[in-house]
Amino acid sequence: MVNAKSRSMGQETFRRLLKNKGAVCGMVFLVLLVLISIAAGFVYNYDTDIIAINMSQALQPPNANHWFGTDALGRDIFARMLYGARYSLIIGVGSVAIGLVIGVTLGAIAGFYGGFVDQMIMRTVDVFYSIPNIMIAVVIVSLLGTSTMNLLIALCFTCATSFTRIARASVMTIRDQEFVEAAYEIGLPTWKIILKHILPNCLSPIIVQVTLLIGTTIIAASSLSFLGIGVPLPAPEWGAMLSEGRQHIRDAAYMCIIPGLAIMFTVLALNLLGDGLRDALDPKMKR
Amino acid sequence: MLKYILKRIMLMIPAILATSFIIYFAMDMTGSDPATALAPDNATEEQIEQLREELGLNDPIFVRYGKYMMGMMKGDLGTSYVTKRDVFETFMTRLPNTIQLAFTAVFVATLIAVPLGIYTAIHQNTWKDTGGMVFALFGVSMPNFWLGMILIIIFSLNLKWFPSGAKGGPESLVLPAVTVGLGFAALITRTTRSAMLDVIRQDYMTTARAKGTGERDVIFKHGLRNALIPIITVIGMQLSNALTGSVLAETVFSWPGVGRLIVDSIAKRDTPMVTGAIIMSCVLMCVVNLAVDLIYAFFDPRIKAQYSQKG
Amino acid sequence: MKRITSVLLCATMIFSLAACSGGKTGDKGSTAAPAAAAGTEAGASQTTSPDSIPAHKEELIIGAAAAVNNLDLQKQADQINNICLKLTHQALFRLDEENNRIPCLALSADWIDDTTIEIKLRSDACFSDGTPLTAEDVKFTFDMAIESPISGNLTGLEGVDVIDDTTVHMQMKSYSNDFLMSLTFIPFGIQSKAAYESGMEKPYLIGSGQYVLEDWVDGEFISFIKSENYWGEDVGISDRITFRPYLEASSRVIALQNGEIDVCIDPPINELQYLEEDKNITVHEQPGTRLFYFGFNCEKEPWNNQTLRQAVACAIDRNSVIQAAVYGKGTPQTTVLNRGLWGFYDDMDGFDYDVDRAKQLMAEAGYPDGGISTTLIIANSSPYTMIAQVIQANLKEIGIQVEIKTLEDATLKSTCVEGQHDLFLWRWNETIRPDCVYRDLFNTGVASNYHHFSDAKVDELTDKVLMDREEAQRQADSKELQTYLVEASPQVPLYIANLVIAYHNDLKMPFFRGGGDHEWYNAYIAK
Repeated sequence: MVNAKSRSMGQETFRRLLKNKGAVCGMVFLVLLVLISIAAGFVYNYDTDIIAINMSQALQPPNANHWFGTDALGRDIFARMLYGARYSLIIGVGSVAIGLVIGVTLGAIAGFYGGFVDQMIMRTVDVFYSIPNIMIAVVIVSLLGTSTMNLLIALCFTCATSFTRIARASVMTIRDQEFVEAAYEIGLPTWKIILKHILPNCLSPIIVQVTLLIGTTIIAASSLSFLGIGVPLPAPEWGAMLSEGRQHIRDAAYMCIIPGLAIMFTVLALNLLGDGLRDALDPKMKR
Repeated sequence: MLKYILKRIMLMIPAILATSFIIYFAMDMTGSDPATALAPDNATEEQIEQLREELGLNDPIFVRYGKYMMGMMKGDLGTSYVTKRDVFETFMTRLPNTIQLAFTAVFVATLIAVPLGIYTAIHQNTWKDTGGMVFALFGVSMPNFWLGMILIIIFSLNLKWFPSGAKGGPESLVLPAVTVGLGFAALITRTTRSAMLDVIRQDYMTTARAKGTGERDVIFKHGLRNALIPIITVIGMQLSNALTGSVLAETVFSWPGVGRLIVDSIAKRDTPMVTGAIIMSCVLMCVVNLAVDLIYAFFDPRIKAQYSQKG
Repeated sequence: MKRITSVLLCATMIFSLAACSGGKTGDKGSTAAPAAAAGTEAGASQTTSPDSIPAHKEELIIGAAAAVNNLDLQKQADQINNICLKLTHQALFRLDEENNRIPCLALSADWIDDTTIEIKLRSDACFSDGTPLTAEDVKFTFDMAIESPISGNLTGLEGVDVIDDTTVHMQMKSYSNDFLMSLTFIPFGIQSKAAYESGMEKPYLIGSGQYVLEDWVDGEFISFIKSENYWGEDVGISDRITFRPYLEASSRVIALQNGEIDVCIDPPINELQYLEEDKNITVHEQPGTRLFYFGFNCEKEPWNNQTLRQAVACAIDRNSVIQAAVYGKGTPQTTVLNRGLWGFYDDMDGFDYDVDRAKQLMAEAGYPDGGISTTLIIANSSPYTMIAQVIQANLKEIGIQVEIKTLEDATLKSTCVEGQHDLFLWRWNETIRPDCVYRDLFNTGVASNYHHFSDAKVDELTDKVLMDREEAQRQADSKELQTYLVEASPQVPLYIANLVIAYHNDLKMPFFRGGGDHEWYNAYIAK
């Protein structure tokens, strides 16, 4: 019964989403980005195209051979940009996914059981919330060392705290409703109640938050690379490219502008999609 | 009311204790030895050992944390390993800079965002709405250190309107504040817009229109007033974020603020400075959050009543 | 509406309060008490008698790459601190433009026997508070230095005896060729015994230099004004000298172009073209002294294999490294000693870039097909990031897979000291004492020997170079030591970076030092 409802709700949401031009643009861009990042792996050879050093060709502005120019070590920026899409996507999606699992679990438990468990979880979340996420990330990366995995872990804290709050609020509103009581009466175990009956009804704020948080995380990752503690060299992550380009902002500005634009458009697409989803999932909106 | 404030202050304390605990242990676990980092390049083993003794690094971690806690109770946050100056004093020297930056940034952001939010709410679903929203979105989609550098190139280098960094007179505040503020503007715009949209559809607005009040009055007197609560909430959130999170802008503009202090101290493994500065930042954020809560209690008589009753 | 107005009013009030509260709360300099005028003895080569001070801009503003963090001479070791300390304090001797030791507070130093140095001081020197500087202050300073964290620079000094007001004897454990050079080191600037005994809060601020500390706001600026009680004829000219930290190199350059600062230290080389175009700005370049090197942890497998290390030395393309790191503004070298130090010898055969030879050596070392996987740790700033990527590509050619790990400076140092690393990149800046290179970098068991290299012959030769009294013998030993070290390859010396500095055309400065530790007390902006 619940499944039938959510399927048609999904279709309904999708239909409304399509009406939002901004959201459609965002979706198209993101699909293209995913395709590019997959294709880049096949078209380019990591060793020869992405990280090979070519001092004779260093710092060339965009030209016929190198559409986006070359960087200070002679590497083709166009190839690095396309290849770099995968880092941003993996880090963004990965952090949010980990944060999602941890956060929703904690939030659901907190919201459902209330009382002491709730207080414990929420106070812990508050502590992490009160430390700015850049600091948390810097401390964790200092602790564990710089690597893509550690970056994921460092960035998932903010995501987790966000999801905990949302999940808890949603669960608390729903848990007192009648159908939950009914489920109890039938004798369903608690985890099944949470998983199959409560969470599906909390989906909308979570979905919206997912798209928005991916964007925030991508920017956070590039910020950490800017501070020098992001993805290890010589990976062509966009934030790291921006950091290298920073030194050339006057004599080779294209090195800064292009990765910055890429980050901006990706996050913009995610935000447009997120906004579109929020509008589409909002029952009050009459279109 | 007073009781409520006291209660909030009491709740701050465990949060601060927990934060200090986590940070202190995390810094300790980073595995590198502050004594080696602080000693000059050609120091001998004995000298490094002597430095360790001086800094009390040979005591077990709990003893060290205990000593630190005792100090904290008395208001002494310790001395920096690197500069040998009092942590609290250093933090307070840097704090006014960050406050200036944060307040100006939020001020700039509000100045842009609230009118923009109202405008797009009124013209919902037209191209003006989309245009306004996309503009606001750019603010939140851009890495703000990138924006900072572009602004430096255009306004500082080419046009020579503003200095490029370091703290000087009021003109040196402009570019950093715009850099930090543009990101906040987006969120404030969106919140303003959705709050106004919520309110516009409400019944009392229809009533006001029916009564014949001018459209302008309807929007500002009745609409905005009631939409203010979420707007103020989000402004308050941005303010507390700005106070602690403007590290990147502080880096790009060489602005001597608190965020940069913390990140540099982490790099130098200066545990007392890191812990002290983060604790102070948390206290600051709690205070700001409390102030924001009080302001909108002041605004909304319903909430005010709630607090007075509980209080 | 009223409520909104009141909220906005509150916000404005808070904001303006915050704006006004951005005040100065740093240290204030010590006020100099009026005292007897300075003597008439000629000091060093640059003398400007007080009457002939040329027309100058009142304040000289220098944009530095780092912020001053500690002015307590003997408890710090950073170059930026030392540059400021050169304004306020003086050591017994100074260095002239050619790095020869010349008198400063001391007139002469002689080894009267194998373990005693007699130092004659000048009689007319005084501190910024007017009190005379005597042998007691010298003894006090060095007694303190022996116990200080930087005593590593005074190895061999056992004690100082006061013979009379202008004579001290330094008791040494053994003869050392380099020790007298250590007396030019500004952290050993003479401090006032009376100041320490008076119980004042920061006695280390009292020095005998041309300037005194005026104001210091951490992270913003530090300023110095002329001392009223300077004893010498070589008075400072600028009325005030200010250092402002600009951590971001491009903002430093922009500040110079905007006229916010008069001097830009370490401008990024790729931006020099803009400075060179600017008619008001001079860009000055000269050979430097800082050696960047690629090091092995010689205690760890497989880098304890000397032939393997030699293979790597042949595989590294120094020219590409220099191009990538400093756009060609550097000098490659083979030897481990910093260019400009006594006994510098770079003509040994060594290991030049030769991939075929590298592959041959790899085979000899037992790795004909390569197949080594290893980690390179570096500090996370340029030029290390650029150097590392070039070397990573170079080593790939001979079958060595390198993973680059960037660490904070602090972590890098402790990891190296603990010996957990495989390969690392670091630098060493030494301008006057060759012993500090041989001993601190290559002798057994020294903490800063990040290579964990241990060779009895190197230890022995190091001592000989330090203590040889006969010049020809010392030259021979020095050559032998350098050749031996190049052959053993505990590191691959890469290049010496040029010193580059940009400043307003009207800056008058006698000379710059290749190592970056310039003396600013002579500098001024001419009008």
